Amino acid sequence: MADIRPFCMPKWGIEMTEGTIAEWMVKEGQTFSRGQVICLIETDKITNEVEAEYDAVLKRVLVPASDQPQPVGALLGVFTDAAATDAEVDAFIAAFKPAETGVAAKAASADAAPAAAAEPAPAAAAPEPKKIVTNRAISPEALKLAEANGVDIEPIAGSGRGGRITYQDVVQAMRPERAFEPQGPADLPTETRAVFASPLAARVAAQYGIDLSTLKGTGPRGRISKADVLGAVKPAVPEAAPAPAFGAPFVAVANTPAVQPFDKVRKVVARRLTEAKQTIPHFYLRVSARVDELVALRKTANVVMGTKASINDYLVKAVGMALVRHPNVNVQVAADAVHSFPHADVAIAVASPKGLVTPIVRQADRMHIAQIAATTRALIDKAQAGRLSFEDMDGGTFSISNLGMFGIEEFDAIINPPQGAILAVGGINRVAVETADGDIAFESQIKLSLSVDHRAIDGAAGAGFLQTLKALIEAPESLFS
Amino acid sequence: MARMMYREAVLSTIAEEMERDENVVVLGEDVVGGNGTAGGPEAIGGIWSTSTGLYGKFGADRVIDTPISESAIMGAAAGLALTGKRPVAELMFADFIGVSLDQIWNQLAKFRYMFGGKTKCPAVIRMAWGAGYNAAAQHSQAVHHILTGMPGLKVVMPSTPADVKGLLRTAIRDDDPVIFLEHKALYGVKGEVPDDKDFMIPFGHARLTRAGNDVTIVSTGLLLGFCEAVADKLAAEGIGCDVIDPRTTSPLDEEAILDSVEVTGRLVVVDETNPRCSLAGDICALVAEKAFASLKAPPLSVTPPHTPVPFARELETAYLPSIPKIEAAVRKVLSYR
Repeated sequence: MADIRPFCMPKWGIEMTEGTIAEWMVKEGQTFSRGQVICLIETDKITNEVEAEYDAVLKRVLVPASDQPQPVGALLGVFTDAAATDAEVDAFIAAFKPAETGVAAKAASADAAPAAAAEPAPAAAAPEPKKIVTNRAISPEALKLAEANGVDIEPIAGSGRGGRITYQDVVQAMRPERAFEPQGPADLPTETRAVFASPLAARVAAQYGIDLSTLKGTGPRGRISKADVLGAVKPAVPEAAPAPAFGAPFVAVANTPAVQPFDKVRKVVARRLTEAKQTIPHFYLRVSARVDELVALRKTANVVMGTKASINDYLVKAVGMALVRHPNVNVQVAADAVHSFPHADVAIAVASPKGLVTPIVRQADRMHIAQIAATTRALIDKAQAGRLSFEDMDGGTFSISNLGMFGIEEFDAIINPPQGAILAVGGINRVAVETADGDIAFESQIKLSLSVDHRAIDGAAGAGFLQTLKALIEAPESLFS
Repeated sequence: MARMMYREAVLSTIAEEMERDENVVVLGEDVVGGNGTAGGPEAIGGIWSTSTGLYGKFGADRVIDTPISESAIMGAAAGLALTGKRPVAELMFADFIGVSLDQIWNQLAKFRYMFGGKTKCPAVIRMAWGAGYNAAAQHSQAVHHILTGMPGLKVVMPSTPADVKGLLRTAIRDDDPVIFLEHKALYGVKGEVPDDKDFMIPFGHARLTRAGNDVTIVSTGLLLGFCEAVADKLAAEGIGCDVIDPRTTSPLDEEAILDSVEVTGRLVVVDETNPRCSLAGDICALVAEKAFASLKAPPLSVTPPHTPVPFARELETAYLPSIPKIEAAVRKVLSYR
């Protein structure tokens, strides 16, 4: 009997429900070896290489590249050893059932018709309920679940009393096997006799090269805890040599870098920014807006409302209002579709200790200024504490990045996919302008730079949005209408 | 550093403390051995060799053979402690706490509380525990879960000679009653022990014996060595295990366990007590309550079944958690879907 194995749509991350094959790197019938890249799979977040886990032949390709997205668990191809015959492979495909009964199976019935026309059906039919007759001990609810989903209970090792199969056991059997990536062993921190620290604190201390005997413990029973060690961590920058004394001959000193490997957040930020900058055709629209009225109004309005709204909070409101009037800018760009939204979820770029994060002010257009101020304050506090949840950052229809507080005049930002545009905001500058009567006067201006994804938003649409935004900022009382 | 056996660490620590403080007194069944026989004191007996030679050195006033009445031993220890002595009482088998439980549970553990903190009870009760010696149901049990559940007692469970040294010294100098549990199967185990005569390990401070990022294993006593063997095997496959020896179960170093689970997200507790209302159940519950968000798989425990310790060698082997059983449990939490 030949060794035949299915190749299914992998599940990368909790929110992935489907993926698209961008390219097959191995052709049908070709042999591949372990570690070789078999294909590229795109999701709405990333494009990843799929590496072979073992040597085999790509006997059959069931889903060609650039086809429709396939649900997680859908059969994409068949791997075999050299001995497999076509008949065996056909039989295997006909009998195949996706392991992920949830996503793939639901989608299977809908996809069955078009798939059947082009290919032998991937046979990802909905699991058929079947009556289970068994002598094995199984709980009634577990049996009901197994029957409803057509789960084969024979291979399940029961975890209940006396090997009884429980509901959880069946749920486990229905889930796809999860690829476990070991993080590996760590160095055992040496226990110092004089100083008592929690094992994790000792490990963190070793990681940062901190001498535990220099710390004072605040943990239980006076122990040094992880927090004590982290509190003592200083950013690792090698000390710069002092400048040579006047008149002394110049001598070059060592200039060795402090190597800081990317942490998880940094890795994701780096990957997503690279993808965004490389794959999204950016273009940039720039405009200046007069903010004298806004600055003046903010002072009075904040007093009246009893809030501490920042200029940025007013900008979030203005952007929200402008986006609603220009739904063709208030968009997310999917692989081959533009999703435009009735309300504006505005992400604000925040520098946190863990790196750049972009929490979202939901439905900013529907909030009044005080509500926006409270929301952004809460999000920024959470970001500083490193406590933003996935829900705080998921989605968004537009981003604002403001570097005005650093005295930056203007800059261009990189789009934060799947959003269609991002606004880069500079600081307030006093600028000489010509007045209506030909005289010269000074006014306060900020420079706005809109980065736009040209796949979804055209120049005129972007310009129209900026025009509205500029008008709102220059007539700030309209923000209260 | 000196290399010595677990039992030698017990003996030398008691001897050093008796030398340091004349209030330290040893009592128990057969701790002198040979009293009343033709050979005279120390001729025979002293079955664990944890008091050998103390009688010759410190005399009959400080090394006391008692009648075979565990209740009397504990009662005497309680009285000694209340009147300013620091008794180190030996219970030959931990299984015998049953007959002396009133003295331990209702007297020793309660004094400080019932006298409004005006008195202290600095007694140490040493007892040998654990299965693996083919000694049947009444001489093989693990009792630490029962004693850990009694407020007023501190419960110490050293797993290495060095820990014996540091923890027994802390126990003798501690002003509260301390239960000091010595695993029978470890008495012959050798290890490095610091020479410092003031070397102490504070209670409530766990020891990390293997470090890794994939799964946290908590264990103590004989089984700790099994867990280390599993961790070493898995390390060769690139799977990292944090192996934590709590060293004292009361107070328990919760922080060490929770910190580790925060990193690994998986927990296996391996313990010799029966599964119900056990140390393993206690630690699993702790993690479920306080580190639920970190967990990637349900916590798992490896314990003997809910039966007395069997006598037959094969059955006793089947009863105890073994290296293959621990490894299977670890792999099970790792493969949770």
